[in-house]
Amino acid sequence: MSKLGFAISIAFTYFTIIYLTGLGGLFSERSGIVNIGLEGLMIIGTVSGSFGAYYFGAKLGWSVPAGPIMGLLLGLACGAAFASIHALATVTFKIDHIVSGVVINLVAVGLARFLSTIFFGQATQSDPGQPHLHVISIPLLSSIPAFGRAFQGLSPFVLFPFLIVFPVWWVLNRTRWGLRLRSAGENPEATRSLGVAVAPLRWEGVLISGALAGLAGAFLSVEIVNNWREGQTLGLGFIALAALILSNWNPIRLMGAAFLFGFAQAVPLALRDWPIIRSIPEQFVNMTPYVVTIVVLAGFIGRVRPPAAAGKAYEGTTT
Amino acid sequence: MSDGDGAGRGSAPPFVVLEGITKRFPGVVANDDVSLQLRPGEVHALIGENGAGKSTLMRILYGMYPSDSGRIVIKGEEVRIHSPRDAIARGIGMVHQHFVLVDPFTVAENVILGDEGGAILQPEESEQKVKELADAYGFQIDPHATVEDLSVGEEQRVEILKALYRGVEILILDEPTAVLTPSETGDLFENLRRLRADGKSIVFISHKLDEVLEIADRITVLRRGAVVGETTPAETSKAKLAEMMVGRPVLFRLEKPEVEVGEPVLRLEGLTGGRLRDLSLDVRAGEIVGVAGVEGNGQRDLADVVMGLRPLDAGRILLDGEDLASRSTAEIRNAGVGFVPEDRHEQGLVLGMTLWENLVLGRQDDPPFVRFGVLSLRTIKELARKLVRLFDVRARSIDVTAGALSGGNQQKLILARELETDPKLLLAAQPTRGLDVGAIEFVWSQILEQKAAGRGVLLISAELDEIYALSDRILTLYEGTITGEYPPSAPAEDVGRGMLGDVAAQGAR
Amino acid sequence: MAITATAPPAAGSGVKTRPEWLERAIGQGLALLLALVIALGLGAIIILLYGESPLAVYGSILRASTTDKDGPAWVLSAATPLIFSALAVSVCFKGGLFNIGVEGQYLVAMVTAAWAALHLGGILPGPLLMWGVLLFGILGGMAYAAIPGGLKVKTGAHEVVTTIMMNGIAVSLVAWALNNPLRYTNAPVGQNVDLRTNIFPAHAKVPDLGHLLGYGPAPRLSWLFPLAVLAAAIVWFIVKRMRLGYEARAVGASVGSAQAGGIGIGSVQMKLFLISGALAGLVGMQQILVNNASTSTGGYLPQNYEATLGFTGIAVAFLGQNNPIGIVFAAIFWASLSRGESILPIETDMPREFVIILQGILIMSVVITYTLAKRRLERRQTGRVLAEEEVVAAQGGPVEVGEALS
Repeated sequence: MSKLGFAISIAFTYFTIIYLTGLGGLFSERSGIVNIGLEGLMIIGTVSGSFGAYYFGAKLGWSVPAGPIMGLLLGLACGAAFASIHALATVTFKIDHIVSGVVINLVAVGLARFLSTIFFGQATQSDPGQPHLHVISIPLLSSIPAFGRAFQGLSPFVLFPFLIVFPVWWVLNRTRWGLRLRSAGENPEATRSLGVAVAPLRWEGVLISGALAGLAGAFLSVEIVNNWREGQTLGLGFIALAALILSNWNPIRLMGAAFLFGFAQAVPLALRDWPIIRSIPEQFVNMTPYVVTIVVLAGFIGRVRPPAAAGKAYEGTTT
Repeated sequence: MSDGDGAGRGSAPPFVVLEGITKRFPGVVANDDVSLQLRPGEVHALIGENGAGKSTLMRILYGMYPSDSGRIVIKGEEVRIHSPRDAIARGIGMVHQHFVLVDPFTVAENVILGDEGGAILQPEESEQKVKELADAYGFQIDPHATVEDLSVGEEQRVEILKALYRGVEILILDEPTAVLTPSETGDLFENLRRLRADGKSIVFISHKLDEVLEIADRITVLRRGAVVGETTPAETSKAKLAEMMVGRPVLFRLEKPEVEVGEPVLRLEGLTGGRLRDLSLDVRAGEIVGVAGVEGNGQRDLADVVMGLRPLDAGRILLDGEDLASRSTAEIRNAGVGFVPEDRHEQGLVLGMTLWENLVLGRQDDPPFVRFGVLSLRTIKELARKLVRLFDVRARSIDVTAGALSGGNQQKLILARELETDPKLLLAAQPTRGLDVGAIEFVWSQILEQKAAGRGVLLISAELDEIYALSDRILTLYEGTITGEYPPSAPAEDVGRGMLGDVAAQGAR
Repeated sequence: MAITATAPPAAGSGVKTRPEWLERAIGQGLALLLALVIALGLGAIIILLYGESPLAVYGSILRASTTDKDGPAWVLSAATPLIFSALAVSVCFKGGLFNIGVEGQYLVAMVTAAWAALHLGGILPGPLLMWGVLLFGILGGMAYAAIPGGLKVKTGAHEVVTTIMMNGIAVSLVAWALNNPLRYTNAPVGQNVDLRTNIFPAHAKVPDLGHLLGYGPAPRLSWLFPLAVLAAAIVWFIVKRMRLGYEARAVGASVGSAQAGGIGIGSVQMKLFLISGALAGLVGMQQILVNNASTSTGGYLPQNYEATLGFTGIAVAFLGQNNPIGIVFAAIFWASLSRGESILPIETDMPREFVIILQGILIMSVVITYTLAKRRLERRQTGRVLAEEEVVAAQGGPVEVGEALS
């Protein structure tokens, strides 16, 4: 039981990454721009987040929580900045969204290496000594016997998705900006014909996706593994895409989807000794997250409805 | 034939004066020194062929394009309109031919989009306001309904409400009756009369001369970007208007060839699937069967199902007695079915490919064109040259991409390709949508030739003109099933009723 | 069947008459040139920020791949896997599919090829073994690509995500293979060797080509390079001249029209994935089947195999604009830049990562300029055709139109 609890605590951390990244993808796609470059944006978040925490926390000596928080913020900012390339390509130049996303992913790897040499003097990993937030345990839930392990030893940032899910829903459905953003993704012609400019809304959607994916990446390198290493994103950006599709682009359902995939991540890490799993060769257990993603995609693809204009360039005439 | 007396109101000062408007696009002059006046309490019809410049002119007024030269004067003040928002602020509203509504949103959300009245939405208040507005003009609409669920006529009302909500005084309607049944058109005209009585100025863009003569107070005719005439319904006739539109004498005469009708070429029995519900009909050799119906009642599904693009839940499709119901599209085509789809871009041509590549589409499996999997370019290009010449497709060479052709030429290309295989049955869906008079005439004559040659034609069209002009038998389609059968001599009101599912004494098939 | 007989567009209708393919070629060439100028320009700015001279840096890179010892051989051999990889990506892309899984497909191919090399040595004599091994590599790639292909066709699962997931699975598969069925069994007693397979029999390997051209064995230039160029020619032929290529392009450009025209979408897509997988299978063959005397590698499958060739292939495919001929040149160009990577820290103060940035900027500018050029070309074509229409319409005669009953 406490093994399961441990697995769930790990699931929470991956859930946070997948949820935030997926949420970023949601904003972008609801505005009409498909963003498969989430992985690349996360990568930029990892390297800059790690640097932020290291620089402010270790080099400048700022105390916790300031150091790690600076890392998270830097990851967010750099993610948004990098996403502006995708926005420029898709909104302004009307390049095919998927092609642009692939380019973002390609360039991100090289860019991360380049930044790493600037930040850390080496290409593929960060310097030691990077601080992180003090871990917490959720008050009541962590006292449950055995299962309570699920709520112990968590980074406080894990609470962030829970705090923002309702505000996000509210912004999307109850504000003017949200209405306009969604209309840009469903029918940009309609939006334009009423005098609302589509391009700025789509830029905003894409920048938000960069910010959230960057934040998720920073969370990974600052809070979970406490350093930056090339390749540490492990395809989570794409898993987030799958979670987004599964959730039918709904921020509340995304929580469930993200947790499912988060748990799939936890299986090889925490449940290796469980009855059935024990008899499967370890390399196959490692495949769990990927297999789960494929099974979900293959099974659920027919029952979802993406924003109607997502992926199609809007050939607006004036603005 | 004109409706209401525009004379008294005609003396009021104009709302809008357009003077000397000129607009060029690459290679084409869309508007050539056009001048126009719009008065309050008046319906002003703007007519012309496709490409005459009517939509362009109104879009300039609505701020979607800047004009190259000329001025716009609104209520005596010269203005520059930079965007639709500007236009709306100045009291000009536009309802486009293709509705721009956000399907998953409610009616109210669609109406308020862009003028929400604050950063935070108040759904109940907005719905209330929309309801009040609708009631004021006698529009039947539920503000809480989702647009996706509305009928075409209701969607149009939402579009008009969008304009009224913003207090426009000039309402531009672009081909508003293109998608309506006769009775919905009647409803629309009722609403327009009420708006006119309220002092609004209405611009009615159309190519349907009967309707124009019915509703307009004044008529302006455009041809190839320039104004060629201004008149009133009392002073003109359909023939004169048509002549002004086209620039040459237009002969309203049609010769339907006398052909002996033979055995059924196509028999559809109890088709069910998608929007179709137990649909049955047959088409005999030497006969043109016209399926009339308002868009959204299963036309697309009917075509898709016959061509094997969509699976059937139940029913049989018999071509010369052979059941094609679960066959692949390629097999169906090879069995002798030619297809002119309603969407020539999505189902007809591959726009990025050249003319010769498009002309071999569907035949790339056949011997002279392919050997051991390798395409025989010379044979294919020979075919392409022959077809382009025969069908008079206007293009510089067969290496031009299909996307560069005009709509009429694209349709000719599709026809050339489909008719070359001499199909037993031609399925033509909305074959003249978006085409000018010359192209329409060409397409119609091709279809009649098929009949003359003893082939069968299944024509699906939302244009009653076309149905009447070509069909030997008229069937009405409503909610996925055939609701009535009429001869070409039947009055339009009867057919209209069938299109609405209102089946009277006539037996439904 | 002929109707209105009006004159065809007059030759002197006021528009230039350049053949379409030439227009396209000029447009593409200019776009490429512009992209190059932009990338090199931005790169020069970065170099200046580092306090170096752009001429010196670019000169260094150029020298490393041309005049330096064995330079060209290094470049061609580095280009070889990239050509296979980019071809694999472009084949799918022609049909509108994104095969991001070349990475995983070549990993699996290496495993199947290694198995063949180790187990078929007794059955297949001489050079037949080498061909047999290559065939198993191809089959391995095809089989692995068939999975996301099948999922796409049957369930519509988006291939971008599924192929990436397959990549992750492939890494684990290789690890499992190295630990179990293909485990190194001839480890000398007491020695701690890296995880890898046994050495392949000598006749499984692909012979060296470099020495024929006067280069040393170090760059591993083998007969796989000409094979890659041949593969490019074959892909060109398939795409341009074969029915499958035609159907693929139709599907890629307009699924609806292709379907209405009778093309079987699923079957075309599946074939594309299989061909793509076959090409992907050849990507890893160079590292396991060609001897590299200086590093004592080649001739077995190591744990630290070279990865990322799949992703680089995507970059090269974009750079070559998904055209087989363009891909060969793009691969060579890319490889020369990468060769420059190792020279840079030696001859200048630039970090080697600069090359990566340059490559990144290059991809982005190529994609953007090419798309813009294509669009501009299309618009001009449309405008020209409409202008001609105007001229001809002016010569029209009487028209007959049907009359609707009122």
